[in-house]
Amino acid sequence: MFTPNDQMRLARAYVPFQIFSKRLDPMEGLLKGTIFPELYFPYRGHKR
Amino acid sequence: MWIYEKKLQYPAKVGRANVQMAKYLITQYGGPDGELAASMRYLTQRYHMPTPQAKGILTDIGTEELAHLEIIATLVYKLMDRASLEEIKAAGLGAYYADHDRALYFVNGEGVPWTAAYIQSKGDPVADLHEDMAAEEKARATYEWLIDLSDDPDLNDTLKFLREREIVHFQRFGEALQIVQEYLDTKKYF
Ligand SMILES: [Fe+2]
Repeated sequence: MFTPNDQMRLARAYVPFQIFSKRLDPMEGLLKGTIFPELYFPYRGHKR
Repeated sequence: MWIYEKKLQYPAKVGRANVQMAKYLITQYGGPDGELAASMRYLTQRYHMPTPQAKGILTDIGTEELAHLEIIATLVYKLMDRASLEEIKAAGLGAYYADHDRALYFVNGEGVPWTAAYIQSKGDPVADLHEDMAAEEKARATYEWLIDLSDDPDLNDTLKFLREREIVHFQRFGEALQIVQEYLDTKKYF
């Protein structure tokens, strides 16, 4: 489970900031919908 | 103001005309979690955002949703293109045809017209950014159900691109939320 740190308070939503690191080349990024590999979460189909 | 580029953000190909799929897909044109709702929501909420970053993110994403609206329009049009009246009736679009012929109109898959009641502009930036993050998740889920409904690899390729953009938008709204919350916190103490 995610452990809150002392910067966080209850009753609030947190999304971690993206830290710039790797970048795909522009054509691959266009095809995937993002140039950031850490933001690429393709749909694998529904499990029903 | 905007500068118009006479091209689509991503190619909008379909393998074949498919009126039934057009009826499903049109919800991303004028449905509750569609691109018109997304675009209008963000472009209206930006005025009361308290920081320049939040204003900028809403402007950028609201603009990109207009580009997605154009992609959806192109896809629906191609799916409907040259459909016979028999195909239109068989897909349950006879009533749509009576009102619009094959023209695009802002409706969901059931033919319910778009309404501003789909969106909120609360004036509270934290509440509004939460709505925006929820909107991105709902749009992502809609693209997943549409991909499930479609057996057209070309159409699905474009739908997967649009779906991935919703994930990126969620991340950006999440970052905007952190910025706004921190800003509002500092305002309370000084
Ligand atoms: Fe989006």
